[in-house]
Amino acid sequence: MLKPKTHYDALVVGGGIAGQETALNLANLGYKVALVEKDYSIGGKMILLSKVFPTLDCAACITTPKVSETARHPNIDVFTYSEVEDIYKQERGFKFTLRQKPRYVTEDCTGCQLCEQVCPVVVEDQYQYGLIGRKAIFIPHSIANPRIAAIDMDNCTLCGLCENVCPPKSIDFTQTEQVTQITATAVVLATGYKLFDPTVIKRYGYGKYKNVVTAMQMERQLVPTRPFNNVLRPSDGKVPDNIAYVLCTGSRDATVGSPICSQVCCMYSTKQAQLLMGALPMADVTLYYINIRAYGKGFCEFYQQARSMGVGYVKGKVGRIFEKDNGNLIVRYEDIETGEVAETEHDLVVLSIGILPNKDYQKLFKNVIVEHDPYNYVKQVDELTSPARTSVDGVFVAGTASGPMDIPDSILSAGAASSEAASYLRKVYKQIQPSLN
Amino acid sequence: MARTVDIIKKQRKASEAAREKLKEFNRMKKAISNALKDRPLTIPQIAEKINQPSDKVLFYLMSMYKYGLVEVDSIDEMDEYYLYRLKQQATNKK
Repeated sequence: MLKPKTHYDALVVGGGIAGQETALNLANLGYKVALVEKDYSIGGKMILLSKVFPTLDCAACITTPKVSETARHPNIDVFTYSEVEDIYKQERGFKFTLRQKPRYVTEDCTGCQLCEQVCPVVVEDQYQYGLIGRKAIFIPHSIANPRIAAIDMDNCTLCGLCENVCPPKSIDFTQTEQVTQITATAVVLATGYKLFDPTVIKRYGYGKYKNVVTAMQMERQLVPTRPFNNVLRPSDGKVPDNIAYVLCTGSRDATVGSPICSQVCCMYSTKQAQLLMGALPMADVTLYYINIRAYGKGFCEFYQQARSMGVGYVKGKVGRIFEKDNGNLIVRYEDIETGEVAETEHDLVVLSIGILPNKDYQKLFKNVIVEHDPYNYVKQVDELTSPARTSVDGVFVAGTASGPMDIPDSILSAGAASSEAASYLRKVYKQIQPSLN
Repeated sequence: MARTVDIIKKQRKASEAAREKLKEFNRMKKAISNALKDRPLTIPQIAEKINQPSDKVLFYLMSMYKYGLVEVDSIDEMDEYYLYRLKQQATNKK
């Protein structure tokens, strides 16, 4: 485990695209940064995506250089599978607890995956959103950083086969949690978002009907390191030829506690529809939508491109989904243009799930309150002129911790957060040492 | 040198759930391997042959595919279902 320093100029909470961008900008200015990520790998959700809209650039090709740069930067200490707790604001800066959890594999791991081959336990792979299994010892995913295995102790049978075969002898079942008290002058919250849990909307049948999947599960099916050999429906491995998307699942829906637009679902669904038409040339793809929000640069053209490729757009609010004996699904919807209720059969339904606030930041601070907005995102106290400022002096917000946004906007937001944090650090250090240039 | 797993085994036991998952994978791996012994099959065909739900067969078959135990043979005449076969070289090792 990486031994932390006693003090950092900045603590960045969250190792997704916004956290990395913030950490890199600050580190390039010479500031020492602690980047804390709760998952086994940095990269956030972006590292798991297939392509980005509207350019259809490969997401991994964009994010992995940044991930590597972050991991190798001499001014950044990356703590993965670690958590920040109990942040106290002090007269100057902050005091916090860093909890580094054991992965039971040391940094000597070469990522050879021999341990995975011999491990006899298969459980649901969370990085493939449960579509296939992984072993109890596993490399999180193919482009994980650090590429170090981890043991899922809840599912380990303690057979020791992994330890027998590990060439660099990096398995250490005796590894324990390390808890360290650290100080930092500034804090940047880049805690990201959570995905909407579609089991909340029971009438859509997610979790009950095998062929109702989430857009993240479809996203994984479209990446080169996909779970299956092709896009297949989960009930029986059939190649789907009539796929429906239900937009605004968990967005713009006050009944499920998510009244605002998630900003990305229209475009990621349009992107997936185009990718599906490439992967399955004979397939029909239909999107059920309330309004298409193609507000960004090139978004409208991207949407028009999908329509011209033959993607069907039906202005309709889906009320209920039924399953037939053969696994096909009947989508019942209100056709908004005619006001009529209609039903259409599909063999796979993808729920375009929305973005929810990650409220974890609300528990971090002990003697100050980082205020939240009406939707539980971090409140930007001066959104128009200083968008990264929060209600606590010295605490800044980057990316989707402040609200739903797409990848370019997250990076822009992180740029703003790092600039404001750098300016704050400069001001604080100048107060301590007035001769500072 | 002593294995660290032997030290930890004195302090804790593996969970019953983990043991059950191990048994389940072994059962399904064996059943799927037996079903594919003679000829390549689709997922619904394997499911029928081993009397298991097809979604469960997909999960375990694709996990075996990931770890190199099975491979794709071809696709059926209707272009609907892939046929899978055992990967012989790998099977003997795992």
